[in-house]
Amino acid sequence: MSRGCEHAVEYVYHYIDKEITWGRQVRIRWHLRRCNACCGAFDFETRLKAVIRQRGRDEPPPELFDRLRALIREESARSDGQ
Amino acid sequence: MADRATFERDAMQYAPQLYSAALRMTRNPTDAEDVLQETFLKAYRAYDTFEEGTNLRAWLYRILTNTYINRYRKQQRRPSEVELGELQDVYLYRRLGEEAGASVSAEEEVLDRFVDTDVKDALEALPERFRLPVVLADVDGFSYKEIAAILDIPIGTVMSRLHRGRKALQQKLWRLAEERGLAGPT
Repeated sequence: MSRGCEHAVEYVYHYIDKEITWGRQVRIRWHLRRCNACCGAFDFETRLKAVIRQRGRDEPPPELFDRLRALIREESARSDGQ
Repeated sequence: MADRATFERDAMQYAPQLYSAALRMTRNPTDAEDVLQETFLKAYRAYDTFEEGTNLRAWLYRILTNTYINRYRKQQRRPSEVELGELQDVYLYRRLGEEAGASVSAEEEVLDRFVDTDVKDALEALPERFRLPVVLADVDGFSYKEIAAILDIPIGTVMSRLHRGRKALQQKLWRLAEERGLAGPT
């Protein structure tokens, strides 16, 4: 593994999260153009993040909204009554 | 007390994602709804203190997280909360490459074979201090700075927990892939 690879892998999450300094981003982009191995790893991490986002979420039960509204209404009536 | 209609109009749109985050935290639908209800009640009572124009979504997540922590942290202090061991970077990708000798496209195909419950189980298997940053970043899309404010921890701590949590998540996904034979050739 070259120093370019080490640097890229060290900052892979900062890079895919777009939480990286401009200088490091440029250095990594430059490296990725030349390194297939790192390119594959970066693509994979990016895809994995998207998969977690798509499949890591649940839909609430449909009655949830009514229950929350009822709760707020009750609280509102209680405070008005004071 | 805040105007009820305003609160409902502004806050209710975030209920589905807050519910899902609560479910990843509590790992059980009844507890998730309890936490969510308490969150909405607290948010409604404190809505006057919310500064208009700041990030309402992050404010609600902060209340949610605090509610969860106050309710459940005591009972969850278990030895499983220990540090994670050191894991290789880009763990899953490397393991798939080593074990399956797969090409890049085959490695990416494995991702498509993970179903929703695989991802949810892997998230919920993470120790809490790693699970919360990973859920907030990867599922809810918050920035490091927002996560630091939500969890009330320094940004450096967010980064280290998030990065280590992701590696642990990948290890769990790797085990699932292995158990179910997902990593082999199709």
